[in-house]
Amino acid sequence: MLYLLLIFFPITMALSTFVLRKNSGQVIFVGLGTVITLMLVATQIPLDDPTRFLGITMMLSSLNRMFMLLFLAISGFAFVAAWHLPHGENFIPAVLLLLSEVCAVLLLQNTFLTTLLLGLTGLSAVLAIVDLPVDTGSLVGTRTIAAALKYMVLMVLAAILMYIAFVLTDIFRPGELPGRISLVRFILALLAVSFALRMALIPFHAWLVDLMEHASLLVVVIVVTLLNTSSMLVLLLVFQSFPTLLVENEGPLMVLRMGALFSAVLGAGMALGGDSLRRSMAYLILYDGGMVFYGLASVSSLGLAGAVFGALNQTLAVVLLLVSLALLERPDGRPPGVVRRDLLRRWPVAGAGFLAGGLALIGMPPLGGAMSRLLIYQAAAEQSWVELLVLLGATLLAGLALARMAQERLLGPGEDEAAPEPLMLGETELDRPAPRRLAPEPTSAAALTITLVLICLAIGLYPGPLLANIDGVIRELAFIRAL
Amino acid sequence: MDINWFLIGLGVTAAVVLLFRDWRLTITALLLNYIIRALFMFEQQSVLANASVLAQIGTLVAVKVITGVAVTAILAITALTFSRDYGLEALDEFGLSELRRAARAAQRQRATDPFHLSDYVVPFWAGVLALFASATLPWVYAIAPTPAADFAWYWLLLTGVFTIATASDLLKIGLGLLLCASGVDVLYTIVVSTPNASGLNIFPMALLSHLHILLALAIAYLSGLLYGRLKTLDLNELYKR
Repeated sequence: MLYLLLIFFPITMALSTFVLRKNSGQVIFVGLGTVITLMLVATQIPLDDPTRFLGITMMLSSLNRMFMLLFLAISGFAFVAAWHLPHGENFIPAVLLLLSEVCAVLLLQNTFLTTLLLGLTGLSAVLAIVDLPVDTGSLVGTRTIAAALKYMVLMVLAAILMYIAFVLTDIFRPGELPGRISLVRFILALLAVSFALRMALIPFHAWLVDLMEHASLLVVVIVVTLLNTSSMLVLLLVFQSFPTLLVENEGPLMVLRMGALFSAVLGAGMALGGDSLRRSMAYLILYDGGMVFYGLASVSSLGLAGAVFGALNQTLAVVLLLVSLALLERPDGRPPGVVRRDLLRRWPVAGAGFLAGGLALIGMPPLGGAMSRLLIYQAAAEQSWVELLVLLGATLLAGLALARMAQERLLGPGEDEAAPEPLMLGETELDRPAPRRLAPEPTSAAALTITLVLICLAIGLYPGPLLANIDGVIRELAFIRAL
Repeated sequence: MDINWFLIGLGVTAAVVLLFRDWRLTITALLLNYIIRALFMFEQQSVLANASVLAQIGTLVAVKVITGVAVTAILAITALTFSRDYGLEALDEFGLSELRRAARAAQRQRATDPFHLSDYVVPFWAGVLALFASATLPWVYAIAPTPAADFAWYWLLLTGVFTIATASDLLKIGLGLLLCASGVDVLYTIVVSTPNASGLNIFPMALLSHLHILLALAIAYLSGLLYGRLKTLDLNELYKR
């Protein structure tokens, strides 16, 4: 019953909030209530206790429960941020619908169903991408429609490739027919491309950059955190269900690692050359995705623990980064159309949140990403020192990109700090314009940013309990024991 | 040699979707494709003579046909209502003037865009390539239990991909995605019901049909938005501005 509640309760509430969508405040409270209820339900479900319902097995592992609670918390943070940040009128219903689908993905143990549900999440996200605020007087931007279309096509193609791979795993039996490409390698190739599309790895990344540039940042938060991370968890389920894909497949796994290295280096390099904050942030997320995928493709307990820890850190860091970026982009009372270079002075909390999020994403201590990077570097060192050097080089590039962004947009001198010019002949103080009184940062969004910074710091300073949990789960995975 | 008319029907209807631009023609071809696909699956299951599947075969065919009717109805209704405007009352003066400009541009484009045979050259050769690949792959890399089933899913998948690649409007992209999804549907239904596989399960099949319908709805929604914005579904216009 609790399993069904996790899947169907958010759908019911999504319908209710859709009906009430014109009352933004009310809908945000309903959304928050739903998320808190779902968190309570998720904590009541017994772990690793399979249940059959109409022929389908449902089970919640400790890893999936941790991520489910994280996704629910992230959705709650997004709802709080929506109080002050721009979002579409259907944002809350769309997120609740996505939550229902993601909960189903985490509960179901059938790979066909999880693949189709991942496809459905792609379609549901389109509703949020092309959404406009309540009673807006403008039209949906053509670039936004183009970004939504690209996202939808790529997600459906990813689901199709994944589905073909799972049909093939269903009929795969050891012992290959001579003279044709190994079925295991074919399946691995299909899975690699489909998950690379879903997780936005270079060269399958175009949709993420477009979304960052043309969609609402709160929608990007949900897509990158809920949908990309749940795809990574499905990939772990695939490895767990079909360990034969990994055994004696050193060549294809090396290709996957090379792809991940390529994605990390190129992402960091393009972040360094980015011409806007949004674009550079998109490439930094691509760099981080490459690092996480490297941990997965290393197929070692160290690498997988690093990847899972990295995914958790990415989820928090991306929320912090994008909420801060949305705050930095708010009209600030000064003349528009000028590139500001003093954003940290103008918006101290959002500026600090942006820097902290960026540092967490590239794995700088004492923030949350440091431990995951350490584990991934160790896994790389086990493979070869060249791979370790490439990863370190990518991180160096990402650090330089963040430093460039900070120097160009955040740390410049304040506009209002210029010394007042002396009075001219015949001029009095009354002739001068009144000093500008600029609005402060919105309280709820600033409190949310500070909370997220503190969570990132806490995870970075005390990673032990989380790491022990992740490490325990990884060591229990059948394919890790088999390898 | 027996001629498999269902296979020929599948091939022709998918080729019409790939080649032609008129939505009346392509959506009708898609409906026929769904119906013929259901009949083709019925024939293939009879060939395989899987007792457990044969008992449910009528339901299976009915579900596929209903899905096809729902999908084509959604797309056809969307295409028919393109002449109407929605939500104009909420727009400000700038939005309205932008709409008038878009309508004039679309009108101009329609007036100066006569029939060009060259527009069909790329889809034609893409179709030839898909035919060659679909005829070769069942022998080179057989997956399904019969060559006909292999040809069917390879053909639907490849024509779908080529339809997306050569599409000039948004509706055509949707049709391409639906053809790809149909190819996967054929593969799943025929391959998983073979004796050495796990067997058909009602939930993945239901969810697959659900995905077809939601995909059609998403395409209809995006088409409506694009038409409301630019008064055309032309992808060139979408990427021009």
